[in-house]
Amino acid sequence: MLLQTSPTVAQKSADMLVKDPHGVIITLVSVLVVFCALVILYFAYTFIGKLSSGQIDLSAFFRKFRKQAKARKTAEGNSAEEVAAAIALALDQEMNGEVYAAIGMAMHQYLNDTVHDMESYIITIRRK
Amino acid sequence: MNTIFESLQQFWGYTGFANMTGQHVIMIAIGIIFITLAIVKDWEPLLLIPIGFGMIIGNIPFVSGLNIGIYEEGSVMNILYQGVQKGWYPPLIFLGIGAMTDFSALISQPRLMLIGAAAQIGIFGAYVIALHMGFTPAESGAIGIIGGADGPTAIFLSSKLAPHQMGAIAVSAYSYMALVPVIQRPIMLLLTTKKERLIRMAPPRQVSQKEKIIFPIVGFILTAMIVPSGMPLLGMLFFGNLLKESGVTKRLAETARGPLIDVVTILIGITVGCSTQADEFLTGDSIKIFLLGLLSFVIATTCGVLFVKFMNLFCKEGRKINPLIGNAGVSAVPDAARVSQNVGREFDKNNHLLMHAMAPNVAGVIGSAVAAGILLSFLG
Repeated sequence: MLLQTSPTVAQKSADMLVKDPHGVIITLVSVLVVFCALVILYFAYTFIGKLSSGQIDLSAFFRKFRKQAKARKTAEGNSAEEVAAAIALALDQEMNGEVYAAIGMAMHQYLNDTVHDMESYIITIRRK
Repeated sequence: MNTIFESLQQFWGYTGFANMTGQHVIMIAIGIIFITLAIVKDWEPLLLIPIGFGMIIGNIPFVSGLNIGIYEEGSVMNILYQGVQKGWYPPLIFLGIGAMTDFSALISQPRLMLIGAAAQIGIFGAYVIALHMGFTPAESGAIGIIGGADGPTAIFLSSKLAPHQMGAIAVSAYSYMALVPVIQRPIMLLLTTKKERLIRMAPPRQVSQKEKIIFPIVGFILTAMIVPSGMPLLGMLFFGNLLKESGVTKRLAETARGPLIDVVTILIGITVGCSTQADEFLTGDSIKIFLLGLLSFVIATTCGVLFVKFMNLFCKEGRKINPLIGNAGVSAVPDAARVSQNVGREFDKNNHLLMHAMAPNVAGVIGSAVAAGILLSFLG
């Protein structure tokens, strides 16, 4: 007594016969997938090969990347200084006594830690 | 006296001679032919001898109920057959193939990988034809995979999609793998010009050990992500190769490509042969499967050779590929590559194509496992 196709396979097979009676769709999709898989491998191994043979220099890439990052950081630092200068100029031109008083109060509260309530951190358990 | 006669008569009824039919004789004869071809012609002896002898075992007639037949639950042959039925022998064979295959040729010339993809069209060509011949899509998929020229993959897929036809499919796949030189040579000569056959390819570059180690890891992740259903075959293939290339698991690699693959080859051969019982094997469907198997080999070889010619349209002079390596896109390793080498040397004694042909050949192994995974995900 030979083995039989499992019910799931039989069902899938019957469905496929209805959807794709000539087998053209499954053929096209399958060939496409096989090619895609091997084309991806082709690109991966070409890249790895170039990397290994020194045609692509990753350390040079990282050096360039670090250089760019450093330049960006310097540029950001410069712009922060420019912004600070602009704020100072605006304050100097626009501020009056009330603004100074409000800034002073806020700084006083912040430095003395009076903005938030203080807790005792002591937990008491009342015995019955 | 009478009792003795009755007992002898009863015993005679149990013997193979009493239950023998013409079909059994034919199957035993086929088994003997397989063994003869393996010994005399040296055609895939490691497979044809176990399969041939398995055919003889499987076709010794017996009275059912003795719990000795391959399809009788719990019998010794049935237990050994579980590896085929449940599909765990093929991945073990792939482990051994991975551990014995050097992928350097492929790593050094990744573009040749595409030939391995083109040759897989044979699988789907046979699928379409099988469908039109009245087979169900699942059966057609299992039959089509013969075109991958990969016995373990054919067994793996047919055990899932069409277990009732596994014997015919496996025997067909292994027979045509043994006949690769006979089938492929005329197609290669028919599709190529003399000028094309003389193309000399630049020697492949040296591949570093680091690349060889990265290859199985990257290869497995990429292919298994695309076709997870091919994971048992692809996983074992690449794992076996990692054992070989890592350099620190020599003992495991030795076992995988030596004793383990030998044991599994013996078991798979003998049980597949045994599964070809006359009453189920000698049918019209089996003859159709053999015809379709041949056709799928022809389509695969044709597509491989034509694809190389197509690639050459875009290749600069000096980078052209000899179309004689197109046949090697099927995964009969290394027989198909050897055919490229031999045919190439017929026209130019100093043109050694073996190393180049090994690239599409091993790509064919990956391609056929991917194709099996796709068919399994659609139909399994």
